[in-house]
Amino acid sequence: MYRETLQKILLKWTRTVLVASLLTPFSSFANALFQEAIVQGTVRSADDGAPLPGVNVLVEGTTAGTTTDASGQYTISVSDKNAILVFSFIGYVTQKIAVNNQGTIDISLGPDIQQLSEVIVVGYGVQKRSDVTGSVASVPKERLSNLPVTNLMHAIQGTTAGLNIIQNSSVPGSSGTMRIRGINSINANTSPFIVLDGVPFFGVTNDINPNDIESIEILKDASAVAIYGTRGSNGVILITTKRGAVGKPHVSYNGYAGVEGMAHVLTPMNPDAYVQKYEDYLIANNLTQTQILPNTFEVNNYNAGLTTDWLDVATQPGRIQDHNVSLNGGTDNTKYYVGVGYLNQKGVVKGYQFKRINFRTNLDVTATDFLKLGTSVFFTNKNTDGGRVNLLNATAMSPYSQPYTSTGQYEIYPMFPELLFSNPLIGLSVDRLDRGNNLTSGAYAEVTPGFLKGFKYRLQGSYVLEFGRFSEYSGRQANNLSGNGYVSNSETGSWVLENLFTYTKNFDRHHVDFTGLYSAQKNRYFTSNISVNGFVNDELSYNNLAAGTSGSWGSFANSYALLSQMARVNYTFDGRYLFTFTARRDGYSAFGEKADKYAVFPVVALGWNIHNENFITNTDIVNQLKLRFSYGKTGNQAISPNQTATTASTTTLAMNGSLTNGVLLGNRLGNEELKWETTLQSNLGLDFAVIKNRLAGTIEIFKSTTEDILLLRSVPNISGYTQVWDNLGKLENKGVEVTLRTTNLDAGGFKWETNLNFSSFRNKILDLYGDKRDDIGNRWFIGKPLQTIYDYEMVGVWQEGEGTAGWDASAKPGDLKFKDQITVDSDGDGVRDATDGVINADDRIVLGTRLPKWYGGITNTFHYRNFHLNVFIQTSQGSLKNNVDKSYADERGRRNIPAEVGYWTPENKSNVWPSLAYNNQRGYGYPSDNSYVRIKDVTLSYSFPQSLISRARLSNLTVYVAGRNLRTFTEWIGWDPENDHSGRGGGDWTNNYPLVRTYSFGVNVTL
Amino acid sequence: MKKYIIATLLVCTGWLAITSCDESFLDEQIYSSLAPETLSDSLGFEAAVTGLHRHFSSFHTYADQQGWLSVWQVGTDIVWAVQPQGIEVPFFRYEQLSSTSGAASFSWTWAYTLIKNANAIIASAEDPAIGGMTQANKDAINAEARFFRAYAYNFLVTIFGGVPLVTEPITAPKTDFVRASVDDINAVIEADLLFAAANLPDIDNVKKKSGKPMFGRANKAMAQQLLAEAYLRMGRPAEAEAQCMAIISSGKFNLRTTRYGVRASQPGDAFSDMFIMGNMRRGQGNTEAIWVFEIENPTDLPGAIGGNPQQRRVWGAGYHGVTGGGMLPADSLGGRGISRMRLNNFVLYGLYPAGDMRNSKYNIRRKFWYNDPNNAKYRQPVVPVAADTLFRIHPYTLKWGQFDSRDAFGFGMWKDLMLMRLGETYLLLAEAQFKQGKPGDAANSINMLRTRANAPQVTAGDITLDFILDERVRELIGEENRRMTLVRTGTLLDRVASRNATAPNAATMITGLTSTHLLFPIPQSEIDLNKDAELEQNTGY
Repeated sequence: MYRETLQKILLKWTRTVLVASLLTPFSSFANALFQEAIVQGTVRSADDGAPLPGVNVLVEGTTAGTTTDASGQYTISVSDKNAILVFSFIGYVTQKIAVNNQGTIDISLGPDIQQLSEVIVVGYGVQKRSDVTGSVASVPKERLSNLPVTNLMHAIQGTTAGLNIIQNSSVPGSSGTMRIRGINSINANTSPFIVLDGVPFFGVTNDINPNDIESIEILKDASAVAIYGTRGSNGVILITTKRGAVGKPHVSYNGYAGVEGMAHVLTPMNPDAYVQKYEDYLIANNLTQTQILPNTFEVNNYNAGLTTDWLDVATQPGRIQDHNVSLNGGTDNTKYYVGVGYLNQKGVVKGYQFKRINFRTNLDVTATDFLKLGTSVFFTNKNTDGGRVNLLNATAMSPYSQPYTSTGQYEIYPMFPELLFSNPLIGLSVDRLDRGNNLTSGAYAEVTPGFLKGFKYRLQGSYVLEFGRFSEYSGRQANNLSGNGYVSNSETGSWVLENLFTYTKNFDRHHVDFTGLYSAQKNRYFTSNISVNGFVNDELSYNNLAAGTSGSWGSFANSYALLSQMARVNYTFDGRYLFTFTARRDGYSAFGEKADKYAVFPVVALGWNIHNENFITNTDIVNQLKLRFSYGKTGNQAISPNQTATTASTTTLAMNGSLTNGVLLGNRLGNEELKWETTLQSNLGLDFAVIKNRLAGTIEIFKSTTEDILLLRSVPNISGYTQVWDNLGKLENKGVEVTLRTTNLDAGGFKWETNLNFSSFRNKILDLYGDKRDDIGNRWFIGKPLQTIYDYEMVGVWQEGEGTAGWDASAKPGDLKFKDQITVDSDGDGVRDATDGVINADDRIVLGTRLPKWYGGITNTFHYRNFHLNVFIQTSQGSLKNNVDKSYADERGRRNIPAEVGYWTPENKSNVWPSLAYNNQRGYGYPSDNSYVRIKDVTLSYSFPQSLISRARLSNLTVYVAGRNLRTFTEWIGWDPENDHSGRGGGDWTNNYPLVRTYSFGVNVTL
Repeated sequence: MKKYIIATLLVCTGWLAITSCDESFLDEQIYSSLAPETLSDSLGFEAAVTGLHRHFSSFHTYADQQGWLSVWQVGTDIVWAVQPQGIEVPFFRYEQLSSTSGAASFSWTWAYTLIKNANAIIASAEDPAIGGMTQANKDAINAEARFFRAYAYNFLVTIFGGVPLVTEPITAPKTDFVRASVDDINAVIEADLLFAAANLPDIDNVKKKSGKPMFGRANKAMAQQLLAEAYLRMGRPAEAEAQCMAIISSGKFNLRTTRYGVRASQPGDAFSDMFIMGNMRRGQGNTEAIWVFEIENPTDLPGAIGGNPQQRRVWGAGYHGVTGGGMLPADSLGGRGISRMRLNNFVLYGLYPAGDMRNSKYNIRRKFWYNDPNNAKYRQPVVPVAADTLFRIHPYTLKWGQFDSRDAFGFGMWKDLMLMRLGETYLLLAEAQFKQGKPGDAANSINMLRTRANAPQVTAGDITLDFILDERVRELIGEENRRMTLVRTGTLLDRVASRNATAPNAATMITGLTSTHLLFPIPQSEIDLNKDAELEQNTGY
């Protein structure tokens, strides 16, 4: 139905366009009767007087025109001496000059800030924003500078509608989870595809120095991402780095230094409360108290009056500094950008640190009038070395325990003989080296043959080498009494080669451009590791593993390849009607031997610039009004290599005291027919700007359906296999995104602007295995979103005297009270209408999802003369998350717990916290609302006036102070609603880390 | 002209770079996993059989759910679950046992994974196209694989009843399994074990490695002992007796009656010597051992074993946590336990006759002295507070004692697993004889054990099934899978009622036990996933 309607609309549209294009050539016929004259001149930049090549020079009202050459010169013949020349160049204010019998017209063009934002990077090219039919959002530029962040994801979080970033961890050097427009896959990767300077990016976002970034565009709908075919389903992020511009060399320094602290501390119980808790614990468990505290060391310290503030011992004031120097400039035929960056962050938990060194050079050379060459090369070295404190153990330590022995060594078990919790500091004695390197070398050649006007061929390629090194030695002080040394190395080599053909043609009011692509890509990964035990002492660390007595080793390799073709046609009529058709064909090596490794992804999009219509008369009120619609298919290939064959894994077993080879079939059955996952998406968007651009924005709604989901399906284990990758199931996402930019006040040197974005999406599983049945084991429910929280519904705490019979017979006062859900059909009418009188697995229900109902951000910027104040507030609302800091199960009697986490006693009849005898046998996850509103960044900057700094030969001097994560408003009890913390023994529990608040001071100076 | 040449050259170069890649560009390479079909030569078969042993061991080394081993002991006649982890809770609070039981699911998957790997080996060994090996070699491999397949089916049929029967490799997702009858499964078990017994080597003739026999590999007696147990379950005691007699009369095995091994000169007895690491294997002097699964400490031999065996922790007392402190994990105390289970009063008080070696202080630890030199009560006897006698200071078997001074906490227990020994052969024999109405013979069989244990002799008049089951406790506590023994003999309900009806507190009481619980529930996930046929649930779940 939907598709048929679309086809009809398309047909109608095409007919109209065809008729119009046949008629228009006749209209300009009359002009040819006048006599011709030659006008020439030079166009320069008003900025620095440098000649501007490539400026369009047009005779107004005609199609006659030319462009300036490399030295900014032009020659044009005009047929009317009173003609008006229009000089236009992307990024500059268009000028109109009347010829008035002049033979030479030299002019200077001034840069146009407004215009700059109107040209955006799209996949495989740039486009005027007014011509774009797809959903492309640009990250506000101010988010890319003056912020004390180490990762670009942290910078752009909350800034763009449809882009959801979750900072799961604040560990220095960590990044986060990034998603565009909901979740389109269940098992396969859901991270957006990142394209850096036009080619696929290999590496982690941390490899990119935010200071090198010129712009970031987020491609969201099918039309925008279709040219990335099988990698487009999850959205695409285009990152463009800074390049040189014609002009004298500019040397810039951007740097800041800051101090960091914990944004919120989940304070453990103080000594008195801790002692009281032990007494209450014994009473709750009907145990007799024979001593003040459970463990010998605690009793000794209690008697000696010694306490320790373990959080104080485990943490330190953090600091961060970042220095970047760049050089850019260029002549007519050579433009360069060189950037060097150094970042150094010392964490707030002892032992954590992050250092990064970057070097980038981008070069563009116009070799001849038809050949342009260039490179984009960068190197990044990341360093997260260092043994680390275990924050979880620090929060668990008894206040009556000591970190050091009398001889100054770490007390390995400060709560001895309790062996469950070791000294949080012992990790500091671990020698740990953790380095990552990314060497990316990209180059391109662009041919513009004179004999074929409008045609361009571009060959671009990139080779990326990522290599990592990890070494660790744990010795006696780290509670490893025989010593363990571990070394691993990994290397990924990736190359991509792309042939790009473009053809642009303007005739009358028609504009056509065509883009064609043929590309290949290959990636190869290899890693090896050695682990050795049994060292005489800890002297040699991991530097001589031969000094150990026993070891194990491993290596692993895989590779994948992609082969693609793509074609795109953009057609514009009169700047009013826009049409785009894109198709991409992709082949991926990791699909099944019997499947077609190729798939085709077509998309069509339409746009209507309403503001260019004649019936919009008052252009002061309506500056822009544009309606966009797109519909098409994108794909997701995102499964790892080697998933489609049944394989056997190697193992070993001791026989007679030494190892013997063993082999076992894997748990995953092969599927030789595994193929693409496809997403059908439609998008309707409205871009508007009204009242002299004072109010501008975009409203978009989208709906997508994903089919043939790459599902790691469970199979009956009777076959001996537990899983198989299969194309099964159906998923739906729909949502709305709003972006608003307003100028609230603009008077007398004072300006107040607001930038607001709001996103909301609903995600729903339509089917899984073709039988409309839920998969409880995986927490997948038909009609419900992904990432559900499926658990008991806690309705309070059992109080003394309450009748538990017929509800939860074994419950004792102080136990959590769960709702006995309606699970029984008592009258046999097929409708469940009664409870079963016991709490069992059937009483678990879908309580919510970890996906937020909506998220967004608001930036208020105030300018007064040379002062700028930028306040950014970010929020995420309506999600649930299991709270490990509310549940210590059976450990509450053995460790310290947060002061905020209470417990039930017969006297303190809490209806929220269970008693200390409650062991959480049912494994309740304490799901809690983790919505929050965060004052994320406040930056106050001052730009010194030109008059002052020009005496020092500076072209720019800006200083600023910034505060990050200043305040969080939330109901969440814990370290942070956004950061994940793990419980003991689960997840990344040795790396729990608090959210960090940063105050920084920075300088930007340009020579 | 030059520009055209350069331009053309460039286009060609770019184009060539890609088009020179032919169709094979998208062929997939698997570098780090083996293709199963490459394992059909002698070394491949040996590795595949070793893989079976390795997978088999995961039953005993699984530690993701630390209470897993307790599943097979709690809710029976011998222990109380005093510090349960969770997975074992429905196995003594039987009203909680449901089709989502983690233990049922793990058991099921473990067994069918063993069957899958065995089926692959059996199919290859019987494939005439696979050459390069003698028929005898192929049969020996086949026999070892069939032993494990029979082991898995005997396990499945004992605890689940009739289950789907898979005897061929499966190569595509299958979702229409149905349950086979118990008889059909029994037939496969019998055929497999008869083949295994006929084609596996005597224990003295197992394959060698570095000149020494690999006693850990399968031998004839293992198949015979398993077959004896299976025949008893099937109600065919005469055939069971024959299998036991074959083992005994082979002359390969003898009960250990004298001191030996690494602690021979220290205090101890012949029975306790068998359970000391360094003494447990046949090559170390344990002539009683039929099947000892060899485990090495992975600190010294990484890759020796997977998982973290929990035997010491579930059986051993958590004495280190004694109220008031003063007790440190020590070698002499068998390392650090955490009292997930405590022997019940039936076992501890009155089961053993006076002088029974199997109840000596070297086998069951009952008394404690403070051993922390920093404690004021150092070297004084521990007089426990009442609560501690439940899960801190209580008597426990030392069969699983193991201590590594480099790792006093000891999450894993690095000690061989005693899986089959001649002591149990006599008990199976006694059961087979009793079932055939030969109590006198049964008494003689049991007296073989009692003689070694310095326990009083018994006569035909003493022999009942309950007596044999009691004797199994005396001899095999900690070793045998008690749940399977009681389910096999159909005595679970009676034995719980007569020997474990009371407990010191409500939390450790066995509740809700009915005849439903003689079989495990079929895992719900399996029923759900098997969407094209009905996998019938056991009655009552």
